[in-house]
Amino acid sequence: MMRASGYVVLLSLCLVAPFSRAAAQGDPRLERLDEATRPVVVALIDTARAVGLPVNPLVERALEGAIKGAPGATIATAVRRLAADLGRARDALGSGASPVELDAGAAALRAGAGPDVLTRLRRARGHRPVTMALAVLTDLVARGVPIDTATTAVLTLAATARDEDLVDFRRAVERDIAIGAPPAAAASIRVNAAAREARPGRP
Amino acid sequence: MFDDDAVERVVRYLRRSVRIDPALDHRVMEEIAALPAGPAVPAGGVWRWLTGRRLTLTPLGALGLAAAFVVAVVGVWRVRAAPDAVEPALRGFQFVLVEPHAANVSLVGDFNDWDATRTPMHRTPGDGLWSAVVPLEPGRYRYAFLIDGRLWVADPTAPTTRDDDFGAPSSVLTVGGL
Repeated sequence: MMRASGYVVLLSLCLVAPFSRAAAQGDPRLERLDEATRPVVVALIDTARAVGLPVNPLVERALEGAIKGAPGATIATAVRRLAADLGRARDALGSGASPVELDAGAAALRAGAGPDVLTRLRRARGHRPVTMALAVLTDLVARGVPIDTATTAVLTLAATARDEDLVDFRRAVERDIAIGAPPAAAASIRVNAAAREARPGRP
Repeated sequence: MFDDDAVERVVRYLRRSVRIDPALDHRVMEEIAALPAGPAVPAGGVWRWLTGRRLTLTPLGALGLAAAFVVAVVGVWRVRAAPDAVEPALRGFQFVLVEPHAANVSLVGDFNDWDATRTPMHRTPGDGLWSAVVPLEPGRYRYAFLIDGRLWVADPTAPTTRDDDFGAPSSVLTVGGL
């Protein structure tokens, strides 16, 4: 469910972008876009900047589309969708989230995590960055782990695990999958093992 | 060699409580005080050398001395300030692709603004292994390999992006720390 400010971001991108002045026009990287696509993307980026979203991921997404030869409309759609996801991620993670956290949050949303998952992860990590927890969640889903299983696993580890522990966990799951384990089983078994190791007072 | 009783007796002896005479400290300090004093440190000569001379400076010499003092102070300040001015640490990441039939491979992604000319990969002589090392700050990066300028390939060792908006796969690397 998108919160009110998420709708505001999306609405801004749809309504204001076509009429906004092109402050991003000065970004020389965007000159790689064709003449028809560039003003549309520039307007989207300016609007995102105006509402306080990080713009570099949007520029990079446009450049990715350009070098891969995507049609202008596809590039604009991708940039618009990423901006909306960044806005939803900010709603879920809080206004103090770093640009990298928002980028990771947007990817997690795209992977199927709900905004409430982002909020719970933020809470579980406390003052520590939530980037790696979100990235591991997204990566697990990309490896075929069902979103619910991946969410449970990462939430289980998030409160106590260091970034390195989360990466080790992801690698262990990936290894198990590579040698033939079903993704859901691999994640469940590994998270149980990690939780047992982290439990205080274990022999 | 030793029977159990002998071992037990040795253990008991070593574990016994030992009483230390409460006056031990006092006796040790008295012994130290009774030792003859060591040779005097010859510091007076240096002090006499320093204080027994009259230094005169010409205006030019004084200016040079002041300049040297300023240079020394600024130098110390710069050395002390340097660690605070350092950007987030860059870590070198090696990207590898096995592609024996490729004539050239580029590493392209968020870290080089999706510019295919900026990070050409180098082939290891004798096999089809292509590699490149890229210094990265903490962050999340999408990237892909471009083979012979026309074929996009995701990194088989890394997770693939879910949002493949452009019909060609990309991979994701997350560098922790932010």
